[in-house]
Amino acid sequence: MLGPAIAWYLVVGSAIFAIGAAGVMLRRNPLIMLLSLELMLNGANLVLIAFARRHGSLDGQVFALAVMAVAAAEVVVGLGLVVAMARRKIEIDVDLLSRLRK
Amino acid sequence: MIAVGAWVCLLAPLGAALAIALGGNRLPRRAAGYLATGSTVLSFAAAVTALIATLGHSASQRQTVTTAFGLIETHAFRINLNLLVDPLALVMMLVISGVGSLIVAYSIGYMKGESEERRYFAYIAFFAFSMLLLVEAANFFVLLVGWGLVGLSSYLLIGFWQERPSAIAAAKKAFIINAVGDAAMALALFLLIQHAHTLDFGGVFGQAAVLGENAWLINLVAAGLLVGALAKSAQIPLHTWLPDAMEGPTPVSALIHAATMVTAGVYLIVRAHPLFEQAPHVQQTAAGLGAATLLATGAIALVQTDIKRVIAYSTMSQIGYMFLAAGIGAYGAAMFHLVTHAFFKALLFLAAGVVIHALGGEQDMRKMGGLRRRMPRTYVAMLIGTGALVGLPPLAGFFSKDAILATAVSNGVYGKVLFAAAIAGVLLTALYSFRLLFLVFSGEESELVKKSLPKRKRAEGPRWMTAPVAVLTLLAIGGGWMQVAGLWHPFSSFLEGVAPSFAAEPSVSREWLLSAVSLVVPLGGIWIAWAIYSARTQQAPRAPRALVEKLYFDRAYDLLFYRPAVSLAHRLGSWFEQPVIERSGEEIGTSTLLGGRFAAAIQSGLARTYVLLVAAGVSILVLLFLVLR
Repeated sequence: MLGPAIAWYLVVGSAIFAIGAAGVMLRRNPLIMLLSLELMLNGANLVLIAFARRHGSLDGQVFALAVMAVAAAEVVVGLGLVVAMARRKIEIDVDLLSRLRK
Repeated sequence: MIAVGAWVCLLAPLGAALAIALGGNRLPRRAAGYLATGSTVLSFAAAVTALIATLGHSASQRQTVTTAFGLIETHAFRINLNLLVDPLALVMMLVISGVGSLIVAYSIGYMKGESEERRYFAYIAFFAFSMLLLVEAANFFVLLVGWGLVGLSSYLLIGFWQERPSAIAAAKKAFIINAVGDAAMALALFLLIQHAHTLDFGGVFGQAAVLGENAWLINLVAAGLLVGALAKSAQIPLHTWLPDAMEGPTPVSALIHAATMVTAGVYLIVRAHPLFEQAPHVQQTAAGLGAATLLATGAIALVQTDIKRVIAYSTMSQIGYMFLAAGIGAYGAAMFHLVTHAFFKALLFLAAGVVIHALGGEQDMRKMGGLRRRMPRTYVAMLIGTGALVGLPPLAGFFSKDAILATAVSNGVYGKVLFAAAIAGVLLTALYSFRLLFLVFSGEESELVKKSLPKRKRAEGPRWMTAPVAVLTLLAIGGGWMQVAGLWHPFSSFLEGVAPSFAAEPSVSREWLLSAVSLVVPLGGIWIAWAIYSARTQQAPRAPRALVEKLYFDRAYDLLFYRPAVSLAHRLGSWFEQPVIERSGEEIGTSTLLGGRFAAAIQSGLARTYVLLVAAGVSILVLLFLVLR
């Protein structure tokens, strides 16, 4: 077994996930929220890969790749929305965006 | 030959009913009447054919069963659609199709101009089919089917004038009271299926002695059949529907509520006599109820003012005689009276129908009077019918009623009690029937008569009506000569193979002595009626209240069943339906709204709240997982 014990990976992964979750819950700027979301996903990815190594199975790694693809797509949509809002001079604050219609 | 006759007899009226019903407006109005009459005449011809073919066999071989197909089959039990032709069934078939075709022909005249003639003729042909099915059945199941169908057609025909609320109420009353009888009968049949494993007459009656070993069982079976018979034949205590049934057209009253359907109870007792003989107490109850009915209804008939209701009460009274005879085991006498009663009672109804028709639908006897000169032929017919009903020689009722009286008095103490009731009933019969005759036909012409029958107008209706009345008059005169005590008795001996009488035979001398007695009694009754009513003065004795109230039977049923049912329904309505069922609709609505409002409150649109809720949910799940593991 190369490298540190799996517990370390889990601790780091969980920490990244927790930081991300706190960011999503506490920040009001959608841009920061998207970044935090990215952190959460990657924390989960790290755990997936750690377990994949531990069990000698590639399933976890494949799944992490899929998560990355989804995250990329999501960021595209999310950033697109933020840019569109900025162009229309809408204030960038999720708490003010609580209605689907005007 | 017998089988063909039986099927043609049964199916001809059904065919006519279907043709009229399906033909609808494509069929000319008159054609419906001709079709129905033709089918019943064909039915009668088939019955006669079957009779002749049956007479060709020796006395012990006169039972033919024909099977069409199986109706119900299980591994232990099967019911077929099979018909039985034997002397008893033949007698009933001949009466139903014979008297039936006369009455249906009469209807052509009576119902002319009615807006729904076709419906009437479809119903009445269907009735003829149902009644024939009842009497030709070779097992209790088919009998019950016919039994129910005659109840249905009776309901339809009583309520024929459906725009009259009273007719609808009467139809419902008849149907409900008959349903009580049907249910009791069905229960008896279930017991038979359970214990005899068959419903075929032959099979059941063959096991009668075995079934009789279980006293409870046989008494319950007989009692169930008896309740069915009481309801159908309008005997106390299930008699209250018949007077109301007079709301139907008069030919219907003649056919269904006098000549055929209401005698089905008598037929049932005679047909199922092996079962009743194993349950002597039930059979004696039948006789006792017959005696009670003939007295009570005879007394009520004294105070009725509606011409048809008098005859209806008289019908119940006469069926009381038949029950009495069947109850003491004199089946031949019961059936003999059934046949002669069919003749003279149909005659009375049809003659009354001529009067009602001529007076434009008026049925109140107090408004009639003096019709003798305006309707002489109807008067003669009515006189003969009444004479036959009262039992004056040589008319039909004399012989048949005498046979019942003589058998009753020769059968022990119970028989003597019944005889006393019966002879009192004869007096009542003479009183009420001649009261009717005097009120309607004698005295001065009333206002109504003068108004509705202008001089020189042909009063007695079209030939379609008078011809059947004439034929029935002849039958009411000659019908009794089928059997004369001590001289010849072809009728009883014809029936003997099916329903051997176990009542003690009266001696010939006693029979003739009784004939003398039962001649004096009605003559006395006629004299009293003449003294009181012939002048048509209004000083007739006031009617006792109990009789006007029909001995309180309707009131008692109202108090015992109708009102408790209605108040129970009201209570359930206010205690259960309103608070639980009706309110639950509202409650479901409001609680859904409330739930929706609550859910909407969660849906704040704040993305961070959603995330927080998700995170909280996940944390709770994780905690639960950790704790419960």
